[in-house]
Amino acid sequence: MTANYAALQTTGNNVANANTAGYSRQSVELATAFSQQTGSGFFGKGVDVATVTRAHSDFLTREAATTASLAAADAARSSQLQQLETVFPTGEAGLGYAAQQMFNAFVDVSNKPQDASARQVVLSRIGDLAARFRGASDQIDSIQAGIAQDLRTSVASINSLTTRIADLNRRIANVQGTGHSPNDLLDQRDTAIADLSKIAQVTTVGAADGTVGVFLGGAQKLVLGGEATALTALADPFDPAKVQIGITEGGTTRAFPDGFIVGGSVAGLLRVQNHDLGDARGLIGQIASAIAGSLNAQQALGLDLGQPSGPGAPLLSVGAASVAPSSNNAQAGGVPVASYVNGLGVRVSSVSIAVVSTSELQPSDYELVADPSMPAGSYRLTRLSDGTAQTVSDGSVVDGFRIDIAAPAPAARDRFLLQPVSQATRSIVRTLDDPKGIAAAAPVTASVTAANTGTAAVASLAAVSASINPNLKATITFTDNSGNFSYSLVDTTSALPTANGTGSLIAGQPIALNGFELRLNGTPLAGDTLTVAKTAFPAGDNGNANALLALRDATFVGERTISPGVVAPGVNVTDAYASALAAIGVRVQSASYAADQSAAIAGDAKSAVAEKSGVNLDEEAARLIQYQQSYQAAAKLLQVAQSVFDSLLQIGR
Amino acid sequence: MRISTANAFDNGIDILSRRQAEMTSLQDQLTTGKRISKASDDPAAAARAERARASIGRAETSQRAVEASKVMMTQAESNLGNADTLLQRARELLVSAGNASYGDSERASIANELQSLRQQLFAVANQSDGAGTYLFGGQGATQKPFIDTPTGVKYVAATGQTVTENGTGLSLTTDGELAWLQARTGNGVFVASAAPTVLNATIDSGSVTNPSALTGADYTLQFTVGSVTTYAVLKNGLPTAVTAAPYVSGQAIAVDGMTVAVSGTPATGDQFQIAPSTPTLGVFGVLDQAVAALKTPGRTSAQVAQANADGLRDVDAVLGHLQAARSATGQVLNRIDSETDRLDNQKLASDSERSNAEDVDMVHAISDFQNKQSGYDAALKSYAMVQRLSLFQYVNGG
Repeated sequence: MTANYAALQTTGNNVANANTAGYSRQSVELATAFSQQTGSGFFGKGVDVATVTRAHSDFLTREAATTASLAAADAARSSQLQQLETVFPTGEAGLGYAAQQMFNAFVDVSNKPQDASARQVVLSRIGDLAARFRGASDQIDSIQAGIAQDLRTSVASINSLTTRIADLNRRIANVQGTGHSPNDLLDQRDTAIADLSKIAQVTTVGAADGTVGVFLGGAQKLVLGGEATALTALADPFDPAKVQIGITEGGTTRAFPDGFIVGGSVAGLLRVQNHDLGDARGLIGQIASAIAGSLNAQQALGLDLGQPSGPGAPLLSVGAASVAPSSNNAQAGGVPVASYVNGLGVRVSSVSIAVVSTSELQPSDYELVADPSMPAGSYRLTRLSDGTAQTVSDGSVVDGFRIDIAAPAPAARDRFLLQPVSQATRSIVRTLDDPKGIAAAAPVTASVTAANTGTAAVASLAAVSASINPNLKATITFTDNSGNFSYSLVDTTSALPTANGTGSLIAGQPIALNGFELRLNGTPLAGDTLTVAKTAFPAGDNGNANALLALRDATFVGERTISPGVVAPGVNVTDAYASALAAIGVRVQSASYAADQSAAIAGDAKSAVAEKSGVNLDEEAARLIQYQQSYQAAAKLLQVAQSVFDSLLQIGR
Repeated sequence: MRISTANAFDNGIDILSRRQAEMTSLQDQLTTGKRISKASDDPAAAARAERARASIGRAETSQRAVEASKVMMTQAESNLGNADTLLQRARELLVSAGNASYGDSERASIANELQSLRQQLFAVANQSDGAGTYLFGGQGATQKPFIDTPTGVKYVAATGQTVTENGTGLSLTTDGELAWLQARTGNGVFVASAAPTVLNATIDSGSVTNPSALTGADYTLQFTVGSVTTYAVLKNGLPTAVTAAPYVSGQAIAVDGMTVAVSGTPATGDQFQIAPSTPTLGVFGVLDQAVAALKTPGRTSAQVAQANADGLRDVDAVLGHLQAARSATGQVLNRIDSETDRLDNQKLASDSERSNAEDVDMVHAISDFQNKQSGYDAALKSYAMVQRLSLFQYVNGG
């Protein structure tokens, strides 16, 4: 009867804990009491409560923890990426649209070069574009700040959970000797490990004394017996805004390498921080740098409305290419070895970079390492977006930027993060405020002499080099009917001697002289002349406005120099933004699919555990009836025994 | 299989909330009409829509350039039309000035009227669009493109044309110098003129009989009156084989592929020049010259006739030249129309491309939505029914 009462109590406990997280269904193990040996054989002496066991499978529990850990990683990455996606909106809210609008605004300047309002519209559009780039950069910064905060909180949670597991380990070890399993403590420890796994994936190894060791990334011990090792959140050596996770052991603090933590929300956050955010920054930085570079270059080729009119001043300024030395680089006397005090009295890194061709910049950061196995003066440069490495030295030009390494040279194993584009959008601003400053006029204009007998007409005239000297008046005279010509360049200010030469018109190629390119329609005949002279009335000319407008289709984003002189064309702004948008979109999509999938797997694993350990109320109800009936039967037996005893007493009376 | 009650509840709630999320997302699509609200909904289609949107923007921008060109070209066309009318009137006056019964005073009054026409034409040539751009301003002018100088009307703007952006390349201005000042002199190939000292003979404008025989040299017809009147032909001032050809009034004189006819009674020493035509004939120069001639008193009838004939010839030349400029403007207007059509089509195509890429197919979406709705309904009902079942109810009942 007592045994049945115990069973009833356990069932009651199960029912009460039906909704307790991590609770494993318990059941009473009943055993036949040792039978009494008599002359006529063994008589059963009833039932004993052997122990209370929990329905538990180590394998299923571990499987559930692991899958939940991966699901948490995917979910964390997916939700952060969804935030990142808002930096790349589609349609009219997007950067691509703003850039197109900006270029398109030049059409009104082209239609009416002297119209101040059309010029003002262009300036506003440039300002708007700059603001959108800054906004995008701020958004990425705020995502980064959020991730850093989450990582710090996660480290605190990990430490509190490991402390708790260590504590439970001690308590479990203490009761190990009793021979009964401390079901509730075990449940609590399993729950703590499952919670920990959701933050960072861990592996567990059981010990003979009932304790478990908890390891991070398969090797780093977090809990061993009753001892827990605390993790710390460290600042990234290149960028203090980023957080790395590390550990302090034996007085030294070290950060875990990238990818050390494979699961849990922390892994998802780190992956977004270390890869996705940097890539996004690179993508918008590349577009911003290329736009600013091309726009300013074209603007500089034109003439503004100033008195006197001169080459256009820059329209956009982007954040400079920068170098971040690792905070772990060799130090001497409290300052990094590879640094010096420049002319302004500021200590700067020996390694610096300068953008030489904005159209060849790639959307990536680079890592420069002073590898001691390489000859002095040679360094290994790795492009972080695709991991390609190459050897560089002072003055090397890579992907549109030049690496300058001044004395003192970096010490062995020094590391530098080179950021040609990723700082560009942080401080992008419009630098021109005066509508008159827009250089709508071309520096030179071409005219065809009326007496020409051929059909040649000017198809286009473009200033292509900043070295153009508008004071040189070029006269091109065709000497025969097959396109050969002679030319003279006369300096109208008489500062330079007249230059003469000859050339010939080749189909499909422009006539290039004095920094301009002239293309003709039609056929010139012998004696026909053309002149290219300084623009007489910059206020009424729209040559450069047309050239600025034409930048909307120019493929100036992401050119690549294949070999010296051979440049693979890039893409235009629209395509650059569209592919950036698609690249981020694909990431978000695949992260979200991965999150859905791993959540489904984790759900299945959780169901499997629940099937084994969870409480089914119908089952408990049935058991309740079963034990109740047994109890009633046992009670009935007492009644029978009592009546037997009573009968005996009656006999004796 | 055992079912854990708590887990069953959890799963049920999970499934219900997932279904609800799916319905909300479909409802979003239905209300916004967009299948893609963010790139991850369909990255490739989002990029396609982005490109299509840029193409729409490009078409709209080009359309603005076309509009700007249309405004300018329409004005230029109508101004050239006005110029045409004014020059026609000038031509009529010149014809009437040839009336043999007119004396110097009549011719002077005709000259005055011509002068006023000339002023009107000058105003037409310097017309602006009302917003600071001169219709005939060429490649840019900050002041009126035509100015009067002691040596005649000069074009001070840059010659050539301002054109719209590269995609359309339509004219924004007309080359004033070309239209107004660069008609070909004479009959277009050569100029036959009488020396000022010729009193009683005239030369016609001549014609080309053999284009391949043209040399482009300057010729002089030199007359000598003896027993018969003869003429010599000088080429670039040097004697030629023709030294003493007999002269018959009105008979064609052939010189190196050209024929001219001299009429009247030339005197000894009278010279007529035949020079290659140059593109230097200006509307204002022609009128100025005609006015000056008409105002000159005491001319012989041959001089009057020669001046009138020259004036008519030149007015016809500049008139033809202005009409050519006008038809060139008309061509641009034609191109503007076809360009507008092209841009409309491009915009429409890009818009449907964008719509295909990112807009929701309503029929499909509504049917999907109803499908999900009934699914959700069924899920709710079955959840409610299953969760009502519990053995405890029967135990309590019993």
